[in-house]
Amino acid sequence: MRTAVIIPAFNEADALPGVLADLATHVPGHHVIVVDDGSRDGTHLAAVAGGATCLRLPFNLGIGGALRLGFRHAVNEGYDRAYQFDADGQHDATQVPILLDALDHADMVIGSRFADDRGYQVSHSRGVAMALLRRLVRVTSGQQFTDTSSGFRAFRRPVLEFFATEYPMEYMESVEALVLAVRHGFTVQEVPVTMRDRVAGTASNRSLRLAYHFIRLFIVLLAGGSGDRPGTQKSPIPRSGQAARRP
Amino acid sequence: MTGQTHALLAVLTVAAVLVIIRLVRRGALKAKYSVLWLTVGLVLAVAASVPTLLDRVADRLGIWYQPTLFLMLAIGFLLLVAMHFSYELSRLEKRVRALAEELALLRGPVDISDEEPS
Repeated sequence: MRTAVIIPAFNEADALPGVLADLATHVPGHHVIVVDDGSRDGTHLAAVAGGATCLRLPFNLGIGGALRLGFRHAVNEGYDRAYQFDADGQHDATQVPILLDALDHADMVIGSRFADDRGYQVSHSRGVAMALLRRLVRVTSGQQFTDTSSGFRAFRRPVLEFFATEYPMEYMESVEALVLAVRHGFTVQEVPVTMRDRVAGTASNRSLRLAYHFIRLFIVLLAGGSGDRPGTQKSPIPRSGQAARRP
Repeated sequence: MTGQTHALLAVLTVAAVLVIIRLVRRGALKAKYSVLWLTVGLVLAVAASVPTLLDRVADRLGIWYQPTLFLMLAIGFLLLVAMHFSYELSRLEKRVRALAEELALLRGPVDISDEEPS
């Protein structure tokens, strides 16, 4: 079983070495793919120095754009499963096996901070926003999730193939992707994990921006698509021989 | 409308059409967009050259304040144009994203030895 780690990174040269070292210590067999999302701070050098494969986007696409590239690469290279991991150190490499064990029984697994009571604290406005998201996702997907925007997720190959062409791009793309996956008929499961508190706070909770994105997301989820599809044909990049196999 | 305003409208229309043609000739405006604006120019030209046309159409439609017809048409048209541009923009964004991905894949994984020393 070949497993890839997909790390979207935008100007994370400082945090990335620690993250890569953690992964190398706790899950040494996994191939790390860093997608440098148009960074200007040498993120790609930190990635390569840390032993990762690094793909560089020519300009910043946002997490969704970087992730889709990561999924495409993982599909092209023939990985059986992959998980996404934050470059800012929020995710904990010791929790990865929890995620991957659950992947035996589901197509997609989400690591949730709130699935059981582990006391992960969020600010009030963020808490309200998350409660709203939970409701929105329940209505549009028909399934209950506790941590809809968690970026700690693992996927089996069929989901990777799906996301390699369909992964949404706008802010809060994780919520949209979750609903897309459920609607597409994939089994999605949540498992409780612990996460670290975000070190440097780029967590966006400016209310106007958030309100705009909520409305956008609301429309997208109700309309059943962001208009992001079909942005690419399936893998026009020639692949190496063994990579072409499919389950 | 008075004779002066009509003259002004006619001058502006001619000027606009000339600017559009110039832009197309220089390759600054794609022909498909020029069709759009030349059509607008044509409509304005007709309205300017037949002073009573707008008023008569407005009367026929039962609009008692005739300039309303002109404004209504203008707003409706501009809305359509704006929507069309949003559509084009969405398509372009999608393509730019795909191109960026293709480029990253074609460049392949970063190889430190590729980097020119800085």
